[in-house]
Amino acid sequence: MDGYNFAYLDEQTKRMIRRALLKAVAIPGYQVPFGGREMPMPYGWGTGGVQLTASILGADDILKVIDQGADDTTNAVSIRHFFQRVAGVETTTATTAANVIQTRHRIPETPLRAGQILVFQVPIPEPLRFIEPSEQETRLMHALEEYGVMHVKLYEDIARYGHIATTYAYPVKVDGRYVMDPSPIPKFDNPKLDGNPALMLFGAGREKRLYAIPPHTRVESLDFEDHPFEIQSWEHACALCGSDHSYLDEVITDDHGGRMFVCSDTDYCQSRRGEVA
Amino acid sequence: MAQRERGTKERMERESMDRDAVRAVWPGLADPAHDSQRLFRQILGAMSEPGTLATLAVPAPPQTSPSDALGAALWGVVLTLCDLETRVWVAADLDSPALRQALTFHTGARITDDPASADFALLTHDAFDPEMPFALGSDTYPDRGTTLLVAVERLENDSNEARGDNNSWRLSGPGIADSRLLDIGDSPGCRRLMSRLGANRTSFPQGLDMIFGCGARLAAVPRSTRVTRADAKEVN
Repeated sequence: MDGYNFAYLDEQTKRMIRRALLKAVAIPGYQVPFGGREMPMPYGWGTGGVQLTASILGADDILKVIDQGADDTTNAVSIRHFFQRVAGVETTTATTAANVIQTRHRIPETPLRAGQILVFQVPIPEPLRFIEPSEQETRLMHALEEYGVMHVKLYEDIARYGHIATTYAYPVKVDGRYVMDPSPIPKFDNPKLDGNPALMLFGAGREKRLYAIPPHTRVESLDFEDHPFEIQSWEHACALCGSDHSYLDEVITDDHGGRMFVCSDTDYCQSRRGEVA
Repeated sequence: MAQRERGTKERMERESMDRDAVRAVWPGLADPAHDSQRLFRQILGAMSEPGTLATLAVPAPPQTSPSDALGAALWGVVLTLCDLETRVWVAADLDSPALRQALTFHTGARITDDPASADFALLTHDAFDPEMPFALGSDTYPDRGTTLLVAVERLENDSNEARGDNNSWRLSGPGIADSRLLDIGDSPGCRRLMSRLGANRTSFPQGLDMIFGCGARLAAVPRSTRVTRADAKEVN
């Protein structure tokens, strides 16, 4: 495309983000500040993820973009088209065919492989932010590894509801050191963070922070001995593909209380139906 | 008077030739946007899977001393990551007017004499001294540390039993499924480098991240990696 550098960002910006990414990988779970640029989309639409993708993407890459697991929702479609235009890259909806996957709020059901890079869009990167509003304080808490307050928050859930009621953006500890917000993925996806062979990068555009989980890294979801971490489960199977082990969305089908449960990962659901049919 | 003018003219011609020489023998990237992207992905892969070897397709610096000691891979890292926002420290054994000119010409990076203010440091294994005051970052901003670009004797993943000596180091931690062996050489400098990396864990999250180069080969060991002697089990 004329008038733009390859992948939209100028080379100087890419180098700045690339240097920050190397530090993020060297210190897993630590939030590296970076000079976030204005992107041609509003904050909250994945500007952080888009800047990371633009900095790593090459002409030979095959890109997949998902929004809540789906390839065909507005956010996913517009970001996919954006990179088709400004980088001319090949895109796909197949998890297995992609080598760069930008995601909003899900990790694909199909296991990722070595060499793939998963880029998360992150709204609020600081897991302690709702407990401590000051950036200076939270930074100090990370430095001192002072995470007791996070357990207090989870404990308050147990005291009030009898179980840990946090269902998404469930805090994790990376390699036994940094407590990290895995972005608003459902806690169903948390176990996929642990020991994953793919590289996972997280970008927050408004907050101008990026962080990383290298492949094969120990990632534990915070919990208590008597209240161990648990993922969601459903009484239903997917109404389309019959899967009884994937993350399901509830879809209202009429105004008489009719509803169905379907896989949130559209590629996974479609490929299963392809196999079944 | 005429003689002095002639002298000035000769000097200007000579300087102009020097500049041409820098361009000719210290190569840049032919296609900066795509070449640096390709190289960065290899560097990112090396950093996220510590100890894995990558071969960088990048033109080598001139094969004259001391320029040849740097190696193609590390020159590729410099071209990919350095720009006018970065400060580079160069060890005495790699330093030359030609390298300084090439760094300035190709990247615009600022050259610093103070290792503590350097974003990147260029050195050989011989020059490494663990007491060098490189920036380790702080507990609140651990990312503000120097990345060392070190030319080493060799880069291998085997245990070198055939050579009759075992200089391998066992790496584990993030980016490594079980453990991985890395051999960077037998010299005292190489041993100092790996011992220093082993000490990283005691100061984590502060620490040194290193990218090793040997010719066109490259490997990286960040501060998150646990480093022990490969033969440590037999000793214990």
